[in-house]
Amino acid sequence: MKKILALLLALVLSLSLLAGCGGTAAQGSSSTPGETQGQSAPAGGSAAAGSTDTAAAAPAAETKNLSKTQQIIAEAQTMSLEELAKKAIEESNGATFYGVGNSSRGKSALPLFIEYLQTIDPGYTMEYEWQQPKNNKIFDQLTADSMKDVGTFAMTLIQDGNQIESKMVQTGILDTFIPKDWAEANGTTPEAVNSYLALQTLNKVFMYNCTGTKTYDNCWDFVAPGEHGLYMDIDSEIVGKNFLYMLTRDDYAAWLKSAFDALSDDEKANFQPTISAMERDASDLGLGPNGAYALAWIKLWVESYSAQTDDGPICNVLVDRSATDQFGLLVYSKLRSVEESASVSVNNIKVAAYEDGYTGIGGYGYCHYLFLTDNSPLPWTACAFIAYMTCTVDGFSAWGKDMGGYSSNPVVAQGTEDTYHHSVGGGDEFPAKNDRGYAWWTAEGQGELVLEDPAYCASVAFTVGSWIEMLDKFAG
Amino acid sequence: MSPSSIARNRVRTFFSKPYNVILLVLGIVLTFTTVAPIIAIVQDTIKIHPGTVDSNLTGQSSGYSLANYIDLFTNRFVARRFLWTPLWNTLLLSVGTCVVSILFGGIVAFLVTRTNLAWRQYISSIFIFPYIMPQWTLAVVWQNLFNSNTITGTSNGLLASLFGVNMPLWWCKGLFPSLMVLGLHYAPFAYILIGGIFRNMDANLEEAATILDTPKWKIMFRITLPMIKPAILSTVLLVFGSAMGSYPVPHYLGLDTLSTQYIAMNSSRAGEASILAIIMMIFGVAIMLLNQFSLKSRKNYTTVTGKSGQISKLNLGAGKYIIALILVILTFFTSIFPIVSFAFETFLPNPGDYSFLYTGDPSNLTTKWWATSENVTENGMYGQKGILYNQTIWRAFGGTLLTSVACALLAGTIGTLIGYAVARQRRSRWAAYVNSVAFLPYLMPSIAVGVAFFILFSNKYLNLYNSYTLLIIAGTVKYIPFASRSSLNSMLQLSGEIEEAAIIQDIPWIKRMLRIIIPIQKSSIISGYLLPFMTCLRELSLFMLLCVQGFILSTTLDYFDEMGLYAFSSGINLILILTILIANTIVNKVTGASLDKGIGG
Repeated sequence: MKKILALLLALVLSLSLLAGCGGTAAQGSSSTPGETQGQSAPAGGSAAAGSTDTAAAAPAAETKNLSKTQQIIAEAQTMSLEELAKKAIEESNGATFYGVGNSSRGKSALPLFIEYLQTIDPGYTMEYEWQQPKNNKIFDQLTADSMKDVGTFAMTLIQDGNQIESKMVQTGILDTFIPKDWAEANGTTPEAVNSYLALQTLNKVFMYNCTGTKTYDNCWDFVAPGEHGLYMDIDSEIVGKNFLYMLTRDDYAAWLKSAFDALSDDEKANFQPTISAMERDASDLGLGPNGAYALAWIKLWVESYSAQTDDGPICNVLVDRSATDQFGLLVYSKLRSVEESASVSVNNIKVAAYEDGYTGIGGYGYCHYLFLTDNSPLPWTACAFIAYMTCTVDGFSAWGKDMGGYSSNPVVAQGTEDTYHHSVGGGDEFPAKNDRGYAWWTAEGQGELVLEDPAYCASVAFTVGSWIEMLDKFAG
Repeated sequence: MSPSSIARNRVRTFFSKPYNVILLVLGIVLTFTTVAPIIAIVQDTIKIHPGTVDSNLTGQSSGYSLANYIDLFTNRFVARRFLWTPLWNTLLLSVGTCVVSILFGGIVAFLVTRTNLAWRQYISSIFIFPYIMPQWTLAVVWQNLFNSNTITGTSNGLLASLFGVNMPLWWCKGLFPSLMVLGLHYAPFAYILIGGIFRNMDANLEEAATILDTPKWKIMFRITLPMIKPAILSTVLLVFGSAMGSYPVPHYLGLDTLSTQYIAMNSSRAGEASILAIIMMIFGVAIMLLNQFSLKSRKNYTTVTGKSGQISKLNLGAGKYIIALILVILTFFTSIFPIVSFAFETFLPNPGDYSFLYTGDPSNLTTKWWATSENVTENGMYGQKGILYNQTIWRAFGGTLLTSVACALLAGTIGTLIGYAVARQRRSRWAAYVNSVAFLPYLMPSIAVGVAFFILFSNKYLNLYNSYTLLIIAGTVKYIPFASRSSLNSMLQLSGEIEEAAIIQDIPWIKRMLRIIIPIQKSSIISGYLLPFMTCLRELSLFMLLCVQGFILSTTLDYFDEMGLYAFSSGINLILILTILIANTIVNKVTGASLDKGIGG
């Protein structure tokens, strides 16, 4: 009896160790993946952010080769938002929707989407959970989730076109869905779109604390000796590394050269030795004629920026009156979070590019892309949610109500400006919050926003990227 | 008798002893739970990962290659940047943390147990607080105290704001603050282990030396310190691996270590990052081997003889109040101030906005972080409801409780059984193996164990990613040593005659355990349950790769800290501290055991 008891006790404990007592957070199971894994992405999987290309329309994949989700996407791309909403109601009434994204505002968009569905079916309910992983873990999470037959996450809102292409799209983990209404607003059809679906372009802009006397009137001032800009670590938020890659593209390197030329001789003397030292590296890396200017700026930036965990803390620091003369490169919309107090004010900072006489790049623009997971547990609902966010002002309002995010749908972009008036949103009281808009930010001689191009980033990730990795980061 | 009958009889005899069954079954299970993750991570070092450097070097998107090893060890720039510099920093951090924790914890343990220091009870209770709190919260407090515009290029922390004091950069960022924060966090380990020996130490040796007119310093260095050497070695054993595997502290304080480098490299050099995890594991194994070597070679000091119940207490004279006051002030900054600062942070209008302190104007305080009941994005809430209404936080709290209770019950029970079985079979090699394999995961850095479990259980055949099952498995395996050590130490003190008497009476094994053995060593065994519970509540490094951020409280806390939403993270800290204190009080009232009474019996 005692032997049996001892054996049983040890076995039960051992088995319970393996079985545990909790379940997964979602309905994902843990069996062998379906036949969908490893399939190539459907038409629309190349890398020009948010653009359309009717001439290069990819032929529709044969239905028999499509995964279940891809088949649903093919059908969904022929439907209007309202038709998709009805499908979503059928599919997810009473269910729980899991999304994952680089933006925290997916959590704000989901209840609006549910309200929209309730206008069609007042009895509709859906629970939701939105995750925002840090430190590039979104790719690990999506990869791990993709191993399940039915995944946890229905869709994702994800940044960094470079990693998306190599880790998510080529591996068949994510699928692109182009809403019919979105395509029409852009003057094309879903089948003709040969790119990822971008929800929006975001801008990270140079801002500085203006409670002192120091000013920054040229982008080279940010890498001058003794300067330590606040910036999210490029190993934590990889899209920040893409900004540096983009600077080496000919057009942006030319902007840096122009800004350098506008410096005084004394100022030029600070940077010329570094630029000269970069000539050979630029040649070895196969960069264009102004590549040395780009590499010099990158080297000086990497060796000087003060790494922070997120744009939120950077904003918190810069708007404090004690952060005199400090500056950072951070998401413009973070200014929305500032609550005025005795020592904290939006008026404690200035947006560098808005100041008269400022020369050079004003910041960096990158996209948030929308995808379904190929093992999405709620594919119709995910399609409807994506269409809602990209095709309606209300759907985009989680981002659109603040400055610094520009919808990829021109109709929504205009509607957002008409509704929220971002161009005058700060008024005379908070001029830094008067958003000058996408067109201004991206124009040469104005905002000079460096825009992410996933294809270019991917092409230099192991040349310029490896070169950047060898630089010594500022340890302060 | 035929040879087969002899063999059958041997087998029957073997299985007739419950401790043999326990050792056999747990030996097999623990071998799997320890070795399989290691094999998985070794495999990952040679696997080609799409979109990373091994894929680029080999020109393939799948398959196996030694490219990661070749690149990491033979490329001079890569090796310096990603391997040698972080490795050197890691070693400095681990050694420094051991020194700080042993000095601080050991001195306080001596003062509390061997002197007539004033307010000992208070100091003893308050001293373990830094271990209760998640380690990186002390790092955040350090930043909030010492950062300054002039030195760190940020807004001013409290010291700079209120007194205009700018601490130097080496004080604010890098190795020094990292080892201080981790040292303070692990000092309770040293306090508990060293204090346990001080408390039980036979005073005869010291008294004999005193009678022989030996100087006090000589008594300390020739008698007292050698007697606590085993506790110091145990502390080194526990702290070195923990410091090596700490991710959040060096991350927040800007130190490049193997752990931080693992996370940084994971996007573009996943295979090479796994090699770093292997290196951390090798250190864990090396520490265990060193410990076993020292166990064999070192002299044994009997601390509990049963002959003397007296401990001679050093009379500090007037110093008993002066030293106590210094300790009260010190522990105020390591234990009370962080809690006050967490509470205060939850009422600030913006993170780190100390306007109220300059102005005294209550309008510069807010209750929005607690009481906001709607989903708003304005005023820095980022779409989060206040803590009282925040379902993410409370659901994560439920997940944390589930994980912690399950880990504590499983680790505590398995550890107790291991301790019992190993003590009963102390000369058996298999028992020594089971004891070692059970202890090994504790010596491996948490982040490396987390990586190994992530790789092992996130595949197409067995996918437990983001499940409580996975967290409970990882937590149990990692925390069994708390219970096995505690149980083994106490079981070794127990004479075999007690159980033999019960066997003669034909009392079943289960009854012997429940009615005799466990009640006698109740205090130590309960410690073996309580420590896994408390450690699991605020564990991050082990779990951060195994689940998403809202799954348990520590990952949720880390998320809010990373986002700079310090009000939420501070609120979560308060919830965690309160939970641990309540649990400790309940256990103390019900069983008489308590955290500050210690592990190891």
